[in-house]
Amino acid sequence: MRKVAIVAGGATKCGRREASWRDLVQEAGKSMFDSVDNISPRDIEALLVGAAQPERFTFQVHVAPMVAEYLGITPTKVIATTELMCASGQAAIRYAWACVASGMADIALAFGVEKMYMRDMAEAQTNMTCVLDREWDGVNGLSAPPFFAMTAQRHMFEYGTTKEQMAMVSAKNHHYSTMNPIAQFQKEVTVEKVLSSPMVSPPLNLFDCSGITDGAAGVILVPAEDASKYTDTPLHLIGSGQANIGNVVNNLASITEWVPLKLAVEETLRTAKITRDDIDIAELHDCFTISEIMEYEAFGWCEKGGGGAFIEEGEPYIGGKVAANPRGGLLGCGHPLGATAILQAIDVMQQFRGEVPKGRLVKDAEIAVTQNLSGAANVHSIMAYSRSPK
Amino acid sequence: MKKVKSERVKRTEEIKLPQMLDFYPLEDEKNTRISLFFENLKEHRLTTTKCNSCGKLLWPPRIICPDCMSDELEWIDLGSEGELYAFTEMRLGAPLGFAEDVPFCIGIVKISGLSISARIDNAKYEELKIGAKVQLKIVELEDGRVFYRFVPSK
Ligand SMILES: [Zn+2]
Repeated sequence: MRKVAIVAGGATKCGRREASWRDLVQEAGKSMFDSVDNISPRDIEALLVGAAQPERFTFQVHVAPMVAEYLGITPTKVIATTELMCASGQAAIRYAWACVASGMADIALAFGVEKMYMRDMAEAQTNMTCVLDREWDGVNGLSAPPFFAMTAQRHMFEYGTTKEQMAMVSAKNHHYSTMNPIAQFQKEVTVEKVLSSPMVSPPLNLFDCSGITDGAAGVILVPAEDASKYTDTPLHLIGSGQANIGNVVNNLASITEWVPLKLAVEETLRTAKITRDDIDIAELHDCFTISEIMEYEAFGWCEKGGGGAFIEEGEPYIGGKVAANPRGGLLGCGHPLGATAILQAIDVMQQFRGEVPKGRLVKDAEIAVTQNLSGAANVHSIMAYSRSPK
Repeated sequence: MKKVKSERVKRTEEIKLPQMLDFYPLEDEKNTRISLFFENLKEHRLTTTKCNSCGKLLWPPRIICPDCMSDELEWIDLGSEGELYAFTEMRLGAPLGFAEDVPFCIGIVKISGLSISARIDNAKYEELKIGAKVQLKIVELEDGRVFYRFVPSK
């Protein structure tokens, strides 16, 4: 297997965009190709497009060739869309990495795009309710907020986690996103504001939930030994993990402990040859505030059930045990499903390059992970990155 | 240059909910091999399949056992009383076809060793409790299809 590095990345501004799916693709593509001198669209041999629900949100399938056409790419080795709901972009990076590592392609593009704002938002909510098994869970109204609301309720019941601790996650991530120019949310959100925001699905208030977001992003992967041809500051892919247990609620390993995440963490640490304490930056999947709290636990930075206390003690802030979501997270940046993992990777690259604003810069960071859950948190996907080759 | 014509064309503004946006499954024997599940529901019985080879109780009901690949499955009654493991209430963000029900409660119900999600009718979020007993209820759609829900036990 060859070692692999990301040498370029580009993204759109995220949020409620006055732009079509096709516009988003072109904006992100231009931003990415403009950022690197020696790669043109015709050089891309493999194209993987992370797109969760283009068939529902924009009534279009077979979207990878459409991305290729709009960006002037003529893939000669690999082309496909990767769907893994909220982790669709992580799946694209994962397959692009496998293509380059295996020697199947020398230059691969992992792209991600989602246009989620629709004329009728009830239709968008409908799309989000066929993520869990539609006939056995979705039919009961089980879209993401009610599912994660019950997860939060059980976590509070079993471990004494509080609404205030959950709100602190939202306040932290919104604080960092005020320093991220492409983030959807640009305003500070206090703990009090989270607690007084409208109730979506108790115990989750509006600011406990990530937004509906339009956005697109892409990263270019090459063999690490070729990286210096394109940049002095590549982002090295050093390990990864992915695991799935069950799908319908009855068949999940547990509601309050994300066993597949623990497996994915172990695999990531093993393949990257690092320990959890080596991780300087963690871009975690904070689709809901409770998610990030449970992720501190599954990564092993605190004991099981201790996630609430972990943030109360200041550990997941820059300067604490681990900098969790210095990008602003999904809560602050928005969550354009297919693009999210790509946006996380680009921000890690900018962190390592020292290109992010001082207030959210993790000084001398060497190791980062990006993590995404999907569905009923039955699937978890992680990629580990380093500033230096390993 | 020839004059370019402009014409207003008609399109339907309101479209009936398309079948694939209906969350309820097609239940009859022409559309599924587990139609007996729904036939049993019509008789107020909540059932599922159990593997005759390895003994695994399976949810949702199915036609093969994922643990041993046997297709020798039998139908088992789950009873009509369960216990609330968790619950919430849909207040914002309901999908099409659910808006008129908002707010409505949703729970995870422990019943005969399974944990299944279900609507909890006749309930307010503030009045429910973890561990509370809930009773099976059958709902019938306009077209005759049926589904299971629960209500708080009296
Ligand atoms: Zn079996």
